[in-house]
Amino acid sequence: MPKDKKGLFPSVSRRSFVKMGAAAGGMAFAGYAPAVIGQTKELRFLNSEPSRDSVAVLDKAAAAYEAETGVKVLIDSVGPGEAWQKLQASIAAGQSYDIGSVLFSAHVSLLADAGRLVRLNDLIAKHEWGPRILFPVEGNNYWYPFDYNLNWIFYRKDLYAEKGLKVPETQAEMLANCQALTEDNRFGTMHPLGSNSATQWMSLGYMWANQVSLLDDQFAVVVDDAENKPRMAAYLDFMKDLAPSMPPGMTQASFAEGLAQYSSGQVAHTPYAGRLMEHLEDRAPELVEHTGFFTYPSADGDLRAVNHGYDGWVVLDTPMAEESLKFMEWFTATHYVDFLHSAPLHFQPPRLDIYEDPRWRDHPMIQKHADLVAFMRNLLEDESILIRSVDTQGPTVDVRGGAIFESMAVPEALQNRILRDMPADECVDACAASLREALSR
Amino acid sequence: MLFRPRTVVRYRPPCPLFRVETQMRRFSTPSDRIILAMFLAAVLTTAGLILVPVFHAVQLSFYSSASFVGEATWAGLENYRRVLSDSDFWHSLRVGFVFAGFAILFQVVLGILFALLLNLPFRGRPLVRGIAVLPYLLPTIVVALAFQWMLDGSFGLFTNWAMALGFARPAWFETPWAALSMVILVSVWTWTPFVTITFLAALQTVPKSLYEAARVDGANGWYRFWHITIPALAPVLTVIVLLRSIWMFNKFDIVWLLTKGGPLSATEHLPILAYRRTFTQFDIGGGATIATISFLILSVLIFIYFHFFPLDEKEASR
Repeated sequence: MPKDKKGLFPSVSRRSFVKMGAAAGGMAFAGYAPAVIGQTKELRFLNSEPSRDSVAVLDKAAAAYEAETGVKVLIDSVGPGEAWQKLQASIAAGQSYDIGSVLFSAHVSLLADAGRLVRLNDLIAKHEWGPRILFPVEGNNYWYPFDYNLNWIFYRKDLYAEKGLKVPETQAEMLANCQALTEDNRFGTMHPLGSNSATQWMSLGYMWANQVSLLDDQFAVVVDDAENKPRMAAYLDFMKDLAPSMPPGMTQASFAEGLAQYSSGQVAHTPYAGRLMEHLEDRAPELVEHTGFFTYPSADGDLRAVNHGYDGWVVLDTPMAEESLKFMEWFTATHYVDFLHSAPLHFQPPRLDIYEDPRWRDHPMIQKHADLVAFMRNLLEDESILIRSVDTQGPTVDVRGGAIFESMAVPEALQNRILRDMPADECVDACAASLREALSR
Repeated sequence: MLFRPRTVVRYRPPCPLFRVETQMRRFSTPSDRIILAMFLAAVLTTAGLILVPVFHAVQLSFYSSASFVGEATWAGLENYRRVLSDSDFWHSLRVGFVFAGFAILFQVVLGILFALLLNLPFRGRPLVRGIAVLPYLLPTIVVALAFQWMLDGSFGLFTNWAMALGFARPAWFETPWAALSMVILVSVWTWTPFVTITFLAALQTVPKSLYEAARVDGANGWYRFWHITIPALAPVLTVIVLLRSIWMFNKFDIVWLLTKGGPLSATEHLPILAYRRTFTQFDIGGGATIATISFLILSVLIFIYFHFFPLDEKEASR
């Protein structure tokens, strides 16, 4: 190659090529070194609770931890919907987060099976936990829950008193109450009916109260067997009857509509968790004292249910895993309560010791709403109240639970019954076929 | 002469690019080399950002995996066999054709109509032309949220208007056909201005003398439109239809934001099915396979389209 000092491509000698290569290698090594060799003690924490208060607590904890130990904790906050994709992308890119929020038991299972998680057995063993929240994978605990996210029904006590209604013991009574409360521009209740997570969290409680099982202890679909099919059909028929008492647009409705429609007085009932009360305190305080709550009744009134949600953290198997465990141990001992206080009524503690912890109980919202807190606590103790969700069906936490959740088979059964007026038995058959299809992939 | 046998069409005008290539071949000056370097950098960057992801997606379609963090296992053509025998795939393909077909039809017809109207002289034309383009300038998320609010079943503006006019409360998104119609309607509202401005710009290139000559010959407006405007603008129209077809067949955002594919999968076309399979239903191989098949279908359709509407022949026939 001719030497041309003015050109873009000057000639390169072997010596200068080797020098450049060595320099590039040195720079690359130097760039990588702090993470692996130098151990600059930097943890990356993927948070999926992006509310201002939750992020503030995490930032404060990170600053305190750095001041105490010299380890920097970088908090990266994303919406709940993006957390899983971001966590996967970070792992696939070789830049895994050290600690991450996980909102889906199937994701815990996938990460554990891929050998990406660190066991948290010792950390978990320090406390007593409520039922159906730890989701061990082959006997090991891989995640640290911070929220139960149970879903029950709120109702307008003043309207009940006005109409002489009582808290429903059966689905027939619930239907009658909703019909009685539907008038003018107000509807009896709302339940999302779209193919989305909101429907599976806010509309399936009656199904669980009817003791419907989607899968058996071998992950086989049983919703259409002799025992479950009539229960499921009864649930679908009930929802079909309930639909005229709901505002239009329920296939588009999501979590926010529950808050907005109840706080604006558009509906007399709404399914939700403690966040509704926080929302009322903020946006419609006049409704706070007129709001009561109850669990989902069954068709015959012998059982009740709540739908399950949950949130927690996992520790990723990164070069900083040891430091991550130390941070988690420190954080769950010193700032866990502060984090729960960032949504005091919504983040229902899965750790049973928290309910007796004066630091937690001292929060004004928890004191003011002691009756709601007692109700929430009772959900974990009363064995006549079932705690269920689609993704935790089956004998253990597994990606198959996630697969049937994401198949949207149950929301589509509701849509078939309500929008298409398909007979309930056929809806159950279609639902079972969808579930089997999802499991076969 | 209207008809020209293919074998006679030999002449090709000298290609300007070819001339540039001949001049640049020596790369004798520093500025030539800078141009070459920047050109190569652009080509390599584009190839890297397009070809690598496409190759990776096709590669994923031959593997089976539940997530991006676990081990992927070789599946060969199993994903293709599974997807092609899946009724959801064929349903989504049908939905995609219905959605894209109607959206393109309305966009093109209305777009041309608006372009012709905006081409007429009238007072305030510049302002009206500017307003006509506005929907195209809005971010998709704004369009989706605005329509969701206006069509809300409880307090939506259109809902209240309909009820004030004595209609029953409309179920805009509550039935499968209504949801699909709404998605098409919003797509037409948003992207018709693209057709309008493109066609309007092209209209400025049609020689006025052609219209004057036709008018002298007694041709009415309809005749002038069909025999002067459309033939003159056929290449532009071909490109408009092609671009709209590609964009609408792959259109994900507006459908996802409005309906997420529901209710009852009525608006779940191939892009949404591929997304759900890949990112939520723990079937990365299946999702990649759907995306690959979708890519192939579109490629074949474009090939057929260019076979019947070749751009160069149209240009030659002008």
